[in-house]
Amino acid sequence: MTLLLAMDTATPRVAVAIGEDARVLGSVYLDARRRHAEVLVPAVASLCEQTGVELRQLDAVAVGVGPGLFTGLRVGVTTAKVMGQALDVPVVAVSSLDLVAHPLRFAGRTIAAVLDARRHEVFHAQYRPGPDGVELVTEYRVGPAAELVTELAAGGEDVVLAGDGVRTNRAAFESLRRAVDAGQEFEAPSATALVELAARRVARQEFAASFEVAPLYLRASDAELAWGNRR
Amino acid sequence: MTGTTVRTRSADETRDVGRATAGLVHPGDVIVVVGDLGSGKTTFVQGLATGVGIAEHVVSPTFTIAREYVGSVRLVHVDVYRLERAQEFLDLGLEDLADDAVLVVEWGDVAAGYLPADHLAVQLTPGPSADPDERTVSLTATGPSWGARQDAVAAALDAR
Repeated sequence: MTLLLAMDTATPRVAVAIGEDARVLGSVYLDARRRHAEVLVPAVASLCEQTGVELRQLDAVAVGVGPGLFTGLRVGVTTAKVMGQALDVPVVAVSSLDLVAHPLRFAGRTIAAVLDARRHEVFHAQYRPGPDGVELVTEYRVGPAAELVTELAAGGEDVVLAGDGVRTNRAAFESLRRAVDAGQEFEAPSATALVELAARRVARQEFAASFEVAPLYLRASDAELAWGNRR
Repeated sequence: MTGTTVRTRSADETRDVGRATAGLVHPGDVIVVVGDLGSGKTTFVQGLATGVGIAEHVVSPTFTIAREYVGSVRLVHVDVYRLERAQEFLDLGLEDLADDAVLVVEWGDVAAGYLPADHLAVQLTPGPSADPDERTVSLTATGPSWGARQDAVAAALDAR
């Protein structure tokens, strides 16, 4: 039996769950807006108390690594890494877009996971549904919502849209004829999905050392800024 | 896209260009200010800040990297001059910090790949005459939101 703490902070909604193997003992979702640092750890503490799980009993920590909003992501990933080190347990990193898509694995149509990147841009990926899980069929990307809409329209497939980026860019997505909106219930990365997906990885011993876990930035973060010889 | 170009003969006139631009900005807008050291980037931002009702004196955030002001809109004023790597720029978390603010980035063109394509670019160049106080200021709006405002930019500058 494996006890797992799962956290995602890639969106304004903080998601936390505790799982016993793939079974969720409890979960909590809180609208943190920009207050992830204030909300996350008390939420973990309260969930531990409610489920009767003590931190030192944990066998692994799972974290959604985005792509997502930077302020939140930093809080979640840092918290997971610190807990991983302090408790000497592995950290499992899962894309937050996977956590949006996974609950829709029975949808029977292409899933477009779309998270708000602000200023009319979205983080997105597309998945093929399957009973055991979803299969990523694109890369994780960031770009204008309008570009994703054009691409989905050109693809001509039936698609289900999920994630908070659909709501924040509603006008852009409304023009899609063959798309349905999964709605509010599927807006945030699912902590339940994180427990399920992470439990599988723990069973296969697929985890990284905590210091190797990093947020998925998508925008090439190892580049130099383009100063040329201007300074 | 062709921008709007005006000539200013003093820091006060550059400030006036900033103030004239203020009437066009909305929360969520991005303005990139480009020009060599001493070309008047912060001077332009001072005018912009006055135009959106910020009473506080705006100073260059070269060393603080980012400063925030509140007027009729929130203004987040960033200077990337001391940054080397994209990671440092991303670490500012501007997408959150400036989500509902007007984001003004001095030297922002060096981080163009990390800023929205939809923005107003303000380029300050000394000259064309030998007068050390003279500047050529070009304002170029790109993207769906700013692009639609290029004519309004020209009109606001005419009316200043």
